[in-house]
Amino acid sequence: MRIRRYALLLSVVLVCLLLLTVQTRGTGLGAVADGVTLTFKPVQVVLVKVHRGALSIWSDYIDWKSARRENAGLRVENDRLRVAALSVEEARHENHRLRRLLELREQLPIATLAGEVIAREGGGWVRALTVNRGRGDGVAPLTPVIVPEGLVGRVIRVRAGASVVQLLNDPVSTVGAVVQRTRTEGLVEGDPSGHVRLKFMARDGGGVAVGDLVVTWGAGEVFPRGLPIGRVVAVEDRGSALFHFALLEPVADFAKLQEVLLVTGQTTRDLATLFTRGG
Amino acid sequence: MRLTLLFLTLGGPLVQSSVMPMLGFAGVAPDIPLVVAVMVALRRGPEAGCLTGFFAGLLQDVTGPGLVGIQALTKALTGFVAGFARVRFTVGDPLVQIPGLVLLTVIEGLLRFAVMRLFHFPGELLEVMLQVILPQALFNGALGALALFGLAAVDAVRARG
Repeated sequence: MRIRRYALLLSVVLVCLLLLTVQTRGTGLGAVADGVTLTFKPVQVVLVKVHRGALSIWSDYIDWKSARRENAGLRVENDRLRVAALSVEEARHENHRLRRLLELREQLPIATLAGEVIAREGGGWVRALTVNRGRGDGVAPLTPVIVPEGLVGRVIRVRAGASVVQLLNDPVSTVGAVVQRTRTEGLVEGDPSGHVRLKFMARDGGGVAVGDLVVTWGAGEVFPRGLPIGRVVAVEDRGSALFHFALLEPVADFAKLQEVLLVTGQTTRDLATLFTRGG
Repeated sequence: MRLTLLFLTLGGPLVQSSVMPMLGFAGVAPDIPLVVAVMVALRRGPEAGCLTGFFAGLLQDVTGPGLVGIQALTKALTGFVAGFARVRFTVGDPLVQIPGLVLLTVIEGLLRFAVMRLFHFPGELLEVMLQVILPQALFNGALGALALFGLAAVDAVRARG
């Protein structure tokens, strides 16, 4: 066994030396080498192709993984930037709203109190919102609540740190009003569907037209005179009925209210000119 | 088993000449036929290692640009030495086999350098050692570790079967 082992080693070494000797003596192994090369060339070509294919697949996979990772990163970044942009936009809007409210407050000749809307009640039964100003802030029942566009409603319930404001479109809300252009007097009422309408006597309302601005009358000493309420969008002619109705589009967007002014003072002055922009 | 040996003997040089140059790092690629010869020798003994090394090296010589016989000689001797070590020493532990493979690659490189010097190879030993032999030895060691891991997995599957 051991002799066979060494004999094999010796044979191999001798063959190698023989091969080397043959080559160094100038007798090449060209034909043999050519034959072997020709035999193995197709296999080598296939191997190279397989290898290149594998490399290509691997490269595609790496690219895909990288793209996926990058995509995920970009999504996160995009979300973050969107949130940041939204908060900037929100701050810009808030700034704008508060600036308008402040401008109005400075222009008004009566005492007002700024309040923030902290709750809302919707649905057909009640339409109200709650502001963060209450008894301690000097708020009293029936205090008018306004925004830069015009009237929102009135305080109907005052609590320790908050007040409930009845909106103009609340079904039981009524406000004495007048059509600014024709001086037609009437009552602005809410209804269960959320609309606001002006109820006026037929004999007085012949001239009421779409687009007219309706403002507070100011006769009941609850609301100052001239607070914009809404614009006429349709006139409902009831023929020979005693009262006719004009459907109004409120100047204030009740769904988007966030800050309001509570009018705590009294004035006999007509405030309509201060609201020309909003009304 | 013989078919596997034949496949490894022929496949090693083919992979070496077609795929490995592209996987090389810093101009050095592992010597797969040598790793195959050593692995075969460590599992099957000096005769198998010697023959595997001889035929794999011969195929490399014939398909390569150098003198035919040099790699056949050096790989056959390396395969034999590896197989001989298996007979004489305990080399079953991978922690012996991998450093052994690195050492055998260095020995094969030195042997090859010596034979090539006989045929007027121009390089200096230190230069060849630092730039070719040692990097290739480390590369072979890494490849050998992978091969051993693969063989162990195959053995485990067989044992279960």
